Amino acid sequence: MAKTAISVDHIARVEGHGNVHVVIEDGEVKTVEMNVVEPARLFESMVKGRSFDDVPYIASRICGICSSSHVVTDLLAIEQAFGIKVTDRTQALRELLVYGSYLQNHATHLFVFAAPDFLGTSSIFPLSETDPDLFEKALGIKALGNELCTRIGGRSVHPITAVVGGFTSEISADEYLMLANKLEAALPFALQTVDLFRTFQFPVLETAGDMLAMVQADAYPVCTSSEASFVRSGQVFAAQDVEQAVEEYEVPHSAALLARVRATGSSFFTGALARINASWDNLSKEARVAAAKAGLRPPEYNTFTNNIAQAIEIVDVLIRCSALCRKLAEADGFEGSSAPVQVVARAGRGVGYTEAPRGALFHDLTFDEDGRVLQASIITPTSLNVANLEADMRVLAEQLVADGQDADTIRLEIEKLVRAYDPCLSCSVH
Amino acid sequence: MSETYPQGRRLNGKGVRDRNRPVRVVVASFASCFGCQLQITNMEQHLMDVLGQIDLSYWQLTSSEPMPESFDVAVVEGAVTTEEAEKQLRELRDRAKALIAIGACATTAGIPGIAAKSFYEHPSAVYEHVPQACGAMISPRPLSAIVDVDFEVRCCPVDPYDFTIMLQRALYGSNKLATTRMLCSDCKRNETSCFFGEGQLCMGLVTSAGCGARCVNLGRPCQGCAGISPHANLASARKSCERYGVSVSDFDEKLELFNQTNQATHEAE
Repeated sequence: MAKTAISVDHIARVEGHGNVHVVIEDGEVKTVEMNVVEPARLFESMVKGRSFDDVPYIASRICGICSSSHVVTDLLAIEQAFGIKVTDRTQALRELLVYGSYLQNHATHLFVFAAPDFLGTSSIFPLSETDPDLFEKALGIKALGNELCTRIGGRSVHPITAVVGGFTSEISADEYLMLANKLEAALPFALQTVDLFRTFQFPVLETAGDMLAMVQADAYPVCTSSEASFVRSGQVFAAQDVEQAVEEYEVPHSAALLARVRATGSSFFTGALARINASWDNLSKEARVAAAKAGLRPPEYNTFTNNIAQAIEIVDVLIRCSALCRKLAEADGFEGSSAPVQVVARAGRGVGYTEAPRGALFHDLTFDEDGRVLQASIITPTSLNVANLEADMRVLAEQLVADGQDADTIRLEIEKLVRAYDPCLSCSVH
Repeated sequence: MSETYPQGRRLNGKGVRDRNRPVRVVVASFASCFGCQLQITNMEQHLMDVLGQIDLSYWQLTSSEPMPESFDVAVVEGAVTTEEAEKQLRELRDRAKALIAIGACATTAGIPGIAAKSFYEHPSAVYEHVPQACGAMISPRPLSAIVDVDFEVRCCPVDPYDFTIMLQRALYGSNKLATTRMLCSDCKRNETSCFFGEGQLCMGLVTSAGCGARCVNLGRPCQGCAGISPHANLASARKSCERYGVSVSDFDEKLELFNQTNQATHEAE
């Protein structure tokens, strides 16, 4: 009997700690496991009993890369529970904060995590000598995302200024204009990035499951809608009903809960590719042209193309953010001020929903009359994705075995697939 | 926790630099958000200047090269929350000439440390059956509760340039002690008005200085992420709260954010 066991302990260039185990026996793929061993920090239990104003601050620490998304999602949940309406200006600043984390996340993932796979290096650092121009510009996009988060949120990781009801501080009109100019100046390289990732070879693969993304009429929404859609089945649900639509379940080999569609038991993917499939018509024209040029058009179910989808989102985000910054610089651009509105706690439940860079993110919070947390449930993109990643790893391994590929090739391709998912294992366990 | 912060005590102020070869550095992480490691990559413009001084032998976040057998400096992020992590930390300590703890999780147990309060109730509140993959969970602790730490970079997240300064000290040596000033002294220098005057709680009264009062400068009271200073006078701070009409129980609750595992927090509460 020929038995091949493929193991990657502590998979590199992903955020968090995870191992991959694949067992192939007599040409049959037996076991496929994404072993998430990230230490559990037990956020849902730790915030119980704490006052609402500490909760976004604590929740931000779930993840360094998408801290902005965790903060905004938490604020949405609290404001919904307390019946608080924020101004359009505050809403716009929150969008910028989320978009800033898209730039940071996508640039870090594409260049620092994914690109070395295709350049045949173990890290991005050799690029500083072999292609200093590309290296500098790649880090430049990442730096721009950091700058956007820093100017809006006060810091690139764990924003300071975003609080319940608004923002504690805001930059000047001149700074918004300067940001808009920088964002526009980055566009040519963003388009070049789409071209670069288009040239990278990846296997043909059709994802085993469905896809989930936020939807909104006439928008490519990231934090302005409470409606989610499964792209393939067409099932649409309100964020309030996430528990009815999505079932989270435990498995012994993962510290992260896994997830499936409650109605069908199907696994699903969430992230840039799901968003592009769900809201293709609402992408900016430049982004759509770049996508079409790169050969990505909906429906696209090869999860390897999530890399290209992220590159396309960088183009889209630059265009959206520069427009937002220009409008924020105008005296009468957005109604109201971003100073926090009055906050009065009350008993109730709120479900915050945003599209974090890596996909759908839900914070479901219930408060008592003093605004202390009674119950918290946090559902992160990567915990939604792990089951589908395992299913796709299996499909990929079966294809490669059928093609007669050796264990080293299978290992490498599976690692590439894991990284294409852009998993955040610290988020997934939280 | 030691009376003053560790500062290269084992090294006697000397650096680990070797004139014959680049210093080998590894980056490892325990329970954390990875944000402090990200902050290192977030000094994009200067990243290669910093990395150019060292042989970055292992950094799982950015490279698929495996952990080498021997190295000089271990940079460690995160709180220790499992028996496995405790063992790994001891191994890192045995092999490293210098150990640098980065971020609140590593220096004070930080946000994961909140779960140290009634720890054994938390896992079953999150999981029905705690998965095997969680390992043997233990109450969260900072690195210094388990091994000697040579240098600490405080705050949540770390400032990338603070990290660079500590790395320099580890490489080239320094006899400079860490500051034990409170954050309030930074606000005095910055000539910032005080939240207490508005009846708002701010943790600057007891929190170690060093960040330049970043949050206060942006209109948000200090949340205490640098941890309380060894010279903090908690009893006096509680009296100040009373004097300004700020709830003492809010103050004690806020202390838990970053000081849950610090014994001083629980004395005379």
